[in-house]
Amino acid sequence: MVATARRMSPVALGLLIVDLMGALLLTVITPSFTSTYNLFITGRDFSILLLVALAQMIVLAIGQMNLSIGAIGGLVAIVESGLMVNAGTPVVIALGFGLLLGTACGVANGLLIHWTKVNSFILTLGTSYVYAGINLGITHATPFYHIPDVVSAFGQARTGAFPHVAIVTIVLTIALAVFLRQAVLGRQLLAVGGNAVAAALSGLPVRRVIVTAHGISGFFGAVAGTLLMAQLGEGQPTIGVTWILPSFAGPIIGGAVLSGGSAPLLGTVFAMVLVSLISDGLILVNANPYWVQFLVGALILAGVLLGRIRAVGLRDVFRLKSTVPGVAEQK
Amino acid sequence: MSTIAPARLVLAATGIRKQFPGVVALDDVSLRLRSGEIQALVGENGAGKSTLIKILTGVYQPDAGAVVIDGAPVRFGSARDALKAGISVVHQEHNLIPQFTVAENILLERIPTRLPQFVDYGAIHREARPWMSKVGLGMRSSKPVSELSAAQMQLVEIAKALSLEARILLLDEPTASITPHETGYLFRVLRELRAQGVAVVFVSHKLEEVFELADRVTVLRDGRNTALDYEIKGLTQDQMVTFMIGRSDVLAQLPGRPVHGEPVLEVRDLATEAGARGIRFTLHRGEILGLYGLVGAGRTELARAIIGELKVTGGEVIVRGRAAHIRDLRDALVRHRIGYVSENRKEEGLILLHSVLTNLSITIWRRLRLFGQWIRRSSEKAAVMPLVQQLDIRAHSLGQQVGTLSGGNQQKVSLGKWLAADVEVLIIDEPTIGIDIKTKSALHELIWNLAGGGKAIIVISSDMPEMVRLTDRILIMRNHRLVGEIANNHDYEEVSAAIMSRLS
Amino acid sequence: MIATRTAAVRTRLTELRGTGLLRTLGLLALLIVTSSFWIFFSAFAMGFTSDFNLFFLLRSAAIAVTIGFAQMVVLSIGDMNLSVGAIGGATGMFAGWLMQVLGVPPALAVLLALALGTTLGFGNAALVVWTHLNSFIVTLATASLITGGMLILTQARPFSTLPDSFIAIAQVELFGMPVAPLVLITLAVAVLLGLVYRSTSLGREMLATGANRRAARMSGLSVGRVVLVAHGLSGLLAALAGAMSVAANNTASPGIGSDWVLSSFVAPAIGGTLLSGGLVSVSGTVLGGLLVATISSGLLLMNVSNFWLSVFLGAVLLLAVGLDRITRTVGGAAS
Repeated sequence: MVATARRMSPVALGLLIVDLMGALLLTVITPSFTSTYNLFITGRDFSILLLVALAQMIVLAIGQMNLSIGAIGGLVAIVESGLMVNAGTPVVIALGFGLLLGTACGVANGLLIHWTKVNSFILTLGTSYVYAGINLGITHATPFYHIPDVVSAFGQARTGAFPHVAIVTIVLTIALAVFLRQAVLGRQLLAVGGNAVAAALSGLPVRRVIVTAHGISGFFGAVAGTLLMAQLGEGQPTIGVTWILPSFAGPIIGGAVLSGGSAPLLGTVFAMVLVSLISDGLILVNANPYWVQFLVGALILAGVLLGRIRAVGLRDVFRLKSTVPGVAEQK
Repeated sequence: MSTIAPARLVLAATGIRKQFPGVVALDDVSLRLRSGEIQALVGENGAGKSTLIKILTGVYQPDAGAVVIDGAPVRFGSARDALKAGISVVHQEHNLIPQFTVAENILLERIPTRLPQFVDYGAIHREARPWMSKVGLGMRSSKPVSELSAAQMQLVEIAKALSLEARILLLDEPTASITPHETGYLFRVLRELRAQGVAVVFVSHKLEEVFELADRVTVLRDGRNTALDYEIKGLTQDQMVTFMIGRSDVLAQLPGRPVHGEPVLEVRDLATEAGARGIRFTLHRGEILGLYGLVGAGRTELARAIIGELKVTGGEVIVRGRAAHIRDLRDALVRHRIGYVSENRKEEGLILLHSVLTNLSITIWRRLRLFGQWIRRSSEKAAVMPLVQQLDIRAHSLGQQVGTLSGGNQQKVSLGKWLAADVEVLIIDEPTIGIDIKTKSALHELIWNLAGGGKAIIVISSDMPEMVRLTDRILIMRNHRLVGEIANNHDYEEVSAAIMSRLS
Repeated sequence: MIATRTAAVRTRLTELRGTGLLRTLGLLALLIVTSSFWIFFSAFAMGFTSDFNLFFLLRSAAIAVTIGFAQMVVLSIGDMNLSVGAIGGATGMFAGWLMQVLGVPPALAVLLALALGTTLGFGNAALVVWTHLNSFIVTLATASLITGGMLILTQARPFSTLPDSFIAIAQVELFGMPVAPLVLITLAVAVLLGLVYRSTSLGREMLATGANRRAARMSGLSVGRVVLVAHGLSGLLAALAGAMSVAANNTASPGIGSDWVLSSFVAPAIGGTLLSGGLVSVSGTVLGGLLVATISSGLLLMNVSNFWLSVFLGAVLLLAVGLDRITRTVGGAAS
């Protein structure tokens, strides 16, 4: 336990402390926070949003972005529910196809970025509209109601306060951690993010790495979409439209850098716990729900500012002179 | 001590030619490397050393010439090919993954695995340690590279090269960013490698290091061999300098010029955040003051401190008799009429994407403004046209993109924007870097005439003939201090000897 | 031999690019594409050329172009602004509140909304300049702050009783032609921006900053001020687009701006503005916005589901940046 804490990054540790204090605060001021049902709801929302954040973290790790996570999640949920409701496709086949489709969308992002060398921001912005458009073209903005009971029951299932959808999240998070730490491809992925030139000179498979990162991102987005569909009990075409902010909030607050090379998994987890605590707390104290959006924005700014202060020191953060890297940095 | 195998020719490059738009970087250059020998590759900035290294490591392909390894001709399509042929290079910028551990960096290209595709960290550390000890790296193999010093990173790179069974190891200015103590250690490691039969190429400006370490030397000047595979033992420092710098017999002596006027820029006991201390000199109207030193002596940093782009921590800069606190380059330009021609014209000197016109007029936009913001194209052109003629800038039109001009013409534009602003003091950092000899001569005449017209000019250069030909007075800088001043009588032998005596 | 020929062609192309001919050709191509769509829809989409349709088409084009401008000015300095929609929505709501609740005269209300937009833009700039944070992250966060703040303050309640004199800018026909007054506003803005980039010190400084921030600074420009002005201008234009949308919708609703991110990038990108900074095309952005509005209007009339439009826009954006990439690689000595 102590050893784990020592190996934790300062950001993750700080977030963990903030999380614990926040949870304590909510326990004290709102009696309903610790109610089984509230913990279940909060845990379920957290399970889904964490997957969204991890989907972004894995592409940030190679210094790119994915703005189409939400669109992929929405498209996958719609295709799965459409297959199950309208075509009567067996659950396993429908979900399998959906997850495959999501992964394929991610792989397409990766391949397009590699081939065209277009900035990942613009490229995934473009594909996000393609994916979202296909979604709306299929549904005409009407949900597919009455998905099979097995699926919706899983979305509601719990043991005590523990939501069963969290099992999926836990398994995938651990798998991602193992992949990044233990798998050769995972290490290569971080190497490309850390120093793309060195990685290429060392003959690492850059294309495979880019495609893998985006494929994983698409897969995680697809799982998140599927779980949300199960939770809602229907294929809502709006699934995923609000995911851009949380997808960046998790990794950015958790300590990721846009230039790549880091995949702060624990930081992302604790950052998303904080986001969930804030949303839940605001609901419990009957605050205006729009505060969530406001506070998450503020949290992102605070997170990156803190990161900057840690990097250059408080005194130099607002120093105008170094707008341009000068010779001083080459010393 | 293992037995030393007789030196064997492992690599021979002959007749290498490489041309870039507007400049011949290498012309009929050769290099010979033997196993168990340290070959120094020496030359001033722009002599072609890094181009040659890039060709040997597959980054560039030569336009002509052959590279033969172990008797068989090779042609590298990529850096990867060179690596496979046993050639590794340790660059000035480190090619390591900062977030990874030392061990993982060393074995990055063939990570040992357990099960298929899973990293065997135990094996990584086990396998990395022998290579670490080979280069004397004593730290934990699990230390992240980002926590290492520059010298340690270099050793990690050498260890990595050795683990790839490199038989030829190229080190590009390995001592540029490390302390003398660390340099001593690095040399011990390199001698050890030589004893094990590795062919080492050591690129350096620093002659004392070359004499200390190398067995043989190849010297480049202006993209040609001036010495090929000479044995160090038979050479003197003077001979080496002559190889590197040569005689400036191509360039004729410049005509006489009126004597200087009043002081324009005085620097008193200046200290900077880059480490300069006690810098003191005076620059007069109509004078060309040279600032000579080897790379890393701190000349560029000094210039940047004067124009406010690096922090001044002590002393004074006095412009036209008044103490000046220059905040940034804009301040230097607007209030003090000082201009700075960067040595890095592609990244700092020019906006390559934009036209000749805007690059020349960028410094005077604020002066051309009518009604607050308006710039009339005709007055902009009128302001710039005389410069195009004076500088003889060869462009199709004023609208031509600067990025498409030759290096010499680019440099003229980079210089010209300060003439447009009519600055009184001009600091020119490496005025002719990467520029062919004819344009070089023209630029010299231009700078000479500018001084004749009353500008006060500081020329920073590592090019000795340029210094001797162009300047009136030479300040010599070493390790962020001024170590001497020489009145230049334009006698090459005498002046270069005087400079070298203060540098060694 | 072939290699030298290719090299020669490449050099020639680069020169053309340098003299702006290639960019003119690009604009011409865009003009041809847009005209082709007009001809196509005139022939096959019933009612495309009716005054009624043209009125709405031009109006939505004008708004799309203004949104595109709001992004174009920050792209010109090599930054981006993800809060364009948030600023447009928040300032639109602010204007609606001023007019409906406080009874502020429309002209003053719009001016105050524009001032608010400019201030929000300055806020983005301050964060970008002082903290050296990436403009993507900064504006992603401020977008969320601005929209969140707006929703908290307004409780997401729309303002729908707006003065007729305000609504008029989007609702009346000028001189009996199918042109709303706000179309003229957009054209005026286009002319002004054209002049700014062509003939003012500020425009040049923005482009220089976008093309090479370091060289701009080392040429004596005050880059911080340029970044401030560009983001401020972006906020101003976003607020203008917000006011236009409010007038067009007849309501200040909190949803305004929520779908602007893509459209803000599409018009400049199609029009030949370099996303990496340093090159803009005002007329290209106008044509880009017009093309998008034309396609959406035509597809709607042809009963193609509105939803497929999103696919189309995404594809157009990808195509535009793909082409941009290709021209840059062909004539790419500079970059």
